[in-house]
Amino acid sequence: MTRKASPTIALFPEASFGAALNCVGIAQALRAKGARPVFICHAGFSGVFADYGFQEYQLPTDEPLSESQRQSYWQAFVRRHLPHFRLSPIDQLETYVAPTWQAIVDTAVNAEAPLRQLLARLKPDAVVLDNVIMFPAIAAAGCPWVRVVSCAETELPDANVPPYLSGLGVDDPQRAAFEARYLAACAPAHDRFNRFRADAGLGPLPKGQFLETSPDLNLLLTPTIVRRERAEPLDPARFVYLEGCVRSEGPFEVPVFPRNGGPLVYVSFGSLGAMDVGLIERMLVVFDRLPARFIVNAGGLRDAYRAVPDNVYLDAWFPQPSVVAKSDLFIHHGGNNSFCEALRFGVPSLIMPYCWDGHDNAQRAEETGTGDHIGRDGWTEGVLEKAILGLLADDAMRARLKDNAAQMALKPGTDAAAQAILSLIRI
Amino acid sequence: MQAAARRPRTNHLDLAQRILDVARQRGFEPGTRLPEQQIASLCNVSRTPVRAALGLLAERGVVRWEAESGYHLAIDLTAQASVATELPAAEEDELAEAILRDRSARRLDQTVTVAGLMRRYSAERKTVLKALNKLTEENLLDRAPGQSWLFRRTPDDPEAQGDSYEFRLLLEPAAILTPGFRLDGARAATLRQAMEALVTLPDAAFDTREFQRLDIDFHGMLAEGSANRFIADALADHLRLRRLPGIYAGVNVFRLRQSLREHLVILDHLESLQYEVAADLLRIHLRLSRNQRPQAASRGAPALFGTISRPE
Repeated sequence: MTRKASPTIALFPEASFGAALNCVGIAQALRAKGARPVFICHAGFSGVFADYGFQEYQLPTDEPLSESQRQSYWQAFVRRHLPHFRLSPIDQLETYVAPTWQAIVDTAVNAEAPLRQLLARLKPDAVVLDNVIMFPAIAAAGCPWVRVVSCAETELPDANVPPYLSGLGVDDPQRAAFEARYLAACAPAHDRFNRFRADAGLGPLPKGQFLETSPDLNLLLTPTIVRRERAEPLDPARFVYLEGCVRSEGPFEVPVFPRNGGPLVYVSFGSLGAMDVGLIERMLVVFDRLPARFIVNAGGLRDAYRAVPDNVYLDAWFPQPSVVAKSDLFIHHGGNNSFCEALRFGVPSLIMPYCWDGHDNAQRAEETGTGDHIGRDGWTEGVLEKAILGLLADDAMRARLKDNAAQMALKPGTDAAAQAILSLIRI
Repeated sequence: MQAAARRPRTNHLDLAQRILDVARQRGFEPGTRLPEQQIASLCNVSRTPVRAALGLLAERGVVRWEAESGYHLAIDLTAQASVATELPAAEEDELAEAILRDRSARRLDQTVTVAGLMRRYSAERKTVLKALNKLTEENLLDRAPGQSWLFRRTPDDPEAQGDSYEFRLLLEPAAILTPGFRLDGARAATLRQAMEALVTLPDAAFDTREFQRLDIDFHGMLAEGSANRFIADALADHLRLRRLPGIYAGVNVFRLRQSLREHLVILDHLESLQYEVAADLLRIHLRLSRNQRPQAASRGAPALFGTISRPE
């Protein structure tokens, strides 16, 4: 059999930058291999993919929010959840995780009808879903579908893998208690989702799970250096591990700092983490006295900062892979994309997680000697200073990470993903 | 700021730049003689400052001096859109740049004082005042009561960027459509050459700073071509804001390259005197450039555009 000359691959990332930019990397590799990648995107993300040269199809919504409604939503969201981000993972279950699952179920329910219509019109040769929840329309699209497991490996349960979102070690005695509380906290959203699935013609999922593995192909953004030994190994015919999934960005020119010496540290907590201005301000006080230069992603709240130190450069957006490539340390929230980018460029991670799988990656960074982590709350200036200087001085870790990065560069995850996706398509 | 004594005076630098502008506009080729008297009358100044400015250009290799025939143009001015980079910066220009850079990085507050800037930059009072006056003349600062100055709002947040594009959408096509529009042919040819060179560079070698220079020059050329001086002046004032640090940060190379191609097509239509088509294409170009990514996004949440206030 031969492959179709220019197959249409519909990529459908969730409305978050991590998934969106992961998929940009895969789409760039698909395009380089002659396919026609297109994006299905949620309202608000149109333009993000076009800026990388990809065709976009925005999912229509019945009641699009006005700009002021979105601003009110976020103002309330941040006011409500910032305090929750300082809680332990187990205490976030009822306060943050459960309401977030309810909101995620809403997105799946709301997307279903327009997604079915769009897929019927697009007739893609494959659909790539980078999300944490299933959209029944995808299973009904009549073509292979690919699940991108873009969170930490914990997203796929296993007896030898700590529970998803727990931040626990594999043998932690709290495991059973966490699992029980997780199932209880997300039960209302899960029950609602299973009813929705039944209405849409899909069978129920086990408790606590919102997305099945694909019968065709599943991609895990889990580089070898942080991969876990599973009690039940994943079937290599359907599960492909990627050595990261880093998109190609334009060059980044390191700015001139008034105090222009020392190693370069990049700090980004993602667009949501950037909302915690108070936390970043506390960190700037520490940065000011360290012999290093700091590039800080301040997101949309750059104007909230005053008297920024001379060894700090703030901006609202950076071409992250290009910045990480030039950095000596990456301080981030443990988002899987950020963690993989740090590994891909051989840069140690200092993870300060605030939610979701950031906790899992923080734990894993320490376990694998690829970085360190400190809690979002309760740190002192001395603790942060020691963590930064410790990682900057750890030559052995740096050498190991650089060797690993060289290995990862030989097997770009984006290429492996594109190849695996295209292997599904035959005419 | 310690090397101030060796720096040329600002007025000589300005004049040197004006001499080059005149030479470019008149199509002077390499080797063209530059008699002091002729240059003085073309620039409306006396011969003494012209001599100093030509001396400055000779130091940079832009002109050469021959004992028998005086100064001659030494470079091909059509090969580069601007020779500003050839000239050294005056002390106050350097300070003004540092002030803008530090404001952009939020190291300086919106209000600054002369005393505060003298301390921060170890600079003399007169240098700080000159830098502040320069920024005030460029409409980047306003004098506030006492010895303080207030930075004007710049298009470096989503809301201000939106306003900036609205303003440009109103005025830039109008600059072309107002009867009497004239394209500076030599400048257009130089720009075309530079844009065509930049557009072919691979992602990893793409020079964003060069893009910024060409983008400002391209839109500035359209503004200056307008026969309506009020439109031209308003746009020139506004486009000056786009040379501030950070304005082009965060735009993907793909979009920058696409933007260059749009410039080239607009230029095609301007050169063939199809002004209405050029104005329509310019509107589309500005709308596409305005496209911006959300300020924040999270699982299950609608993407955020615009700004929200600092959470407490």
